[in-house]
Amino acid sequence: MSLVGLGHILRRARRSLWENLYLNVVAVGVIAAALLLLGVFLTVQYNLSGMVESWGKDVHLSAYFHPDVPESRRFDLREHIAQDGRVADIRYVSEEDAQAWLVERVEGVEDILDELGTGALPASLEISLTDEVASPAEIAAFAEGLEGADFAVVDYGGEWVERFNAFLSLLQLLAAVLGALIVVAAVFLVVNTVNLVVYSRRDELEVQRLVGATDGTITAPFLIEGGVQGLVGGLFALAGLALVQRLVVVRLQSALDLEVAGELAALPPAVAVGLLMIGLALGTLAAWISVARFLSRVP
Amino acid sequence: MIRLYHLTKRYGEIEALHDINLHVEKGAFVYVTGPSGAGKSTLLKLLYGAVKPTEGKLLIGGTDITRLDRRRIYQLRRNMGVVFQDFKLIPRRTVAENVGLSLEVIGTPRDEIDRRVNAVLGVVGLKGRGKEYPPTLSGGEQQRVAVARAIINDPAIVLADEPTGNLDGAMAIEVMEILQAINLRGTTVLVATHDAALMQRFPYRTLRFRQGRLVRS
Repeated sequence: MSLVGLGHILRRARRSLWENLYLNVVAVGVIAAALLLLGVFLTVQYNLSGMVESWGKDVHLSAYFHPDVPESRRFDLREHIAQDGRVADIRYVSEEDAQAWLVERVEGVEDILDELGTGALPASLEISLTDEVASPAEIAAFAEGLEGADFAVVDYGGEWVERFNAFLSLLQLLAAVLGALIVVAAVFLVVNTVNLVVYSRRDELEVQRLVGATDGTITAPFLIEGGVQGLVGGLFALAGLALVQRLVVVRLQSALDLEVAGELAALPPAVAVGLLMIGLALGTLAAWISVARFLSRVP
Repeated sequence: MIRLYHLTKRYGEIEALHDINLHVEKGAFVYVTGPSGAGKSTLLKLLYGAVKPTEGKLLIGGTDITRLDRRRIYQLRRNMGVVFQDFKLIPRRTVAENVGLSLEVIGTPRDEIDRRVNAVLGVVGLKGRGKEYPPTLSGGEQQRVAVARAIINDPAIVLADEPTGNLDGAMAIEVMEILQAINLRGTTVLVATHDAALMQRFPYRTLRFRQGRLVRS
C-alpha cells in the first residue's frame, strides 16, 4: 500500500471516529468495562500469588524434641541440620526459653504451666529455610527428613500452605475461565456495536466496493478505529483499576483494619501493557469480524 | 470487448438468463432492453461481477471473469464505471468527495484527485458544485454526479442500469447526451432501459431480452 493510500485510510478512520462519536464512545465503554473486570481479576490473582510466594520464602519449621533426648544430642542435631544447604537459620529453644516466651506473651499462663510441671513445653529447633525451598512439596520433603526418633513433632503449617496453594490454583483456573468469558463477551458486544457503525455507513461501503476498493482498503479504517477504541478502552480500564485500588481497597483495608498483605500491589507494568494490548487486539478483532461479515454479504 | 458464451444465470429455480451468446465490440453504444424481469439487470450484474453465472463463459477485455476470485473483482471494477437508477451517492459526502471516491480507493494523491474531479464535473455540467451535498441537488444533477464518478478514472466500459428511470424528459436527455459524449471518446457504453422514446431519440444497437432469453441482438 502506498503512503498516499495510507493517508486516505487514516483520514477515513479519523473521520469515522468523529462522525460516529456516540457509538465509538459506547464501544470504548464496553472495552473499558471488560478490561477493568479482567484487570481486577489479574490484580487479585497477582496479589494472592505474591502472598503465597512471600509465605513460601518465609517458611519456618518448629521441630519439637522428645523429652528424653539429652541436651548434648540436641546440640549435635542442631549442628548437623545447620550443615544442610537448605537451612538459612537454626536456633535451639530450650524448655525454659519456650516457657519464658509464652509467659511473656500470654497473661496468666504461668499458673497453668506451674500446674503442668516441668516439660510442659518441649524444647525445639526453630529452623528457617532458604528462598530456594519454596514449594509445599520441597518443604514437606525437608520436614519428613527431620522426623524420626529424636523429634516428637515437626510443625510447619504444611497442610495450610498446601490448601492455600490448591485454592490459589483453583482461583487461577477460575480467573482464566472468567477472563476468557469476559473477553468473548466483550468481543461479542463490541462486534455488535461496530455492526451499528458499519450499518450506518453501509451505503458508503457498498459504493467503495463498486468503484474498485479492495476488501483491505475498506476494512483498514475500521481496524484503525477498532484499535483506537481498544487502546482508549484499555487506558480507561487502567485508570479505573488505579481508582478502584485507591478508593475501594485501601479504604476497605483501613476500615476493616486489614493487614493481611500490607498494601495491595498494583499490576506490574508488563501486565498493564498486556492489558492495553488485549484492548488493542479486542477492538481490532471486533472490527475485523464485523466488517468481514458485512463485506461477505455485499456483491 | 464483451463476449458471452452460452451464459445462463439461475437464482434457485428461477432462470434469469438462458443460454446467452453475445459480442459487444470495443467503443460500442448498446441498449439492453426488455420488460421487467427480462434479465436486463442480471446481465449488468454479471458484467460488473456482482453475481456469477451458473453456466457459460463471460469474457471482458479477454479476461474470463467467471474465473475471477471474489477478492479480485476490484480489478474488473477499476476499469469499469457503473451508474444506477437510484444514483448510489453517499449523502454525507460532498459532490467532489463522491466523484473522487473511485480515485481515492486506488491511492491517487489528493491534488490529482482534486484536479480530475474539477475536470470531470465540467464534463457533466456541474463545474463549481463540488462542495455541495447530493441531497441538495435535483435528480438529474445527482445522476450527473453518479456519471462523473463512473467516468473519472477513464474506464473502458460504462454500465448504466436504468440511468434515466428516476428523471423527467429533459433531465433524461441531458444524462443520455453525457453518456453519448463519453462513448464518442471511445468508451464502451451499455445502457439498460425500457424507455422506447429515449432509444428512438438516441438510436444505437439494441439487445432485446424477454424472459431471460436474448430475442434480438
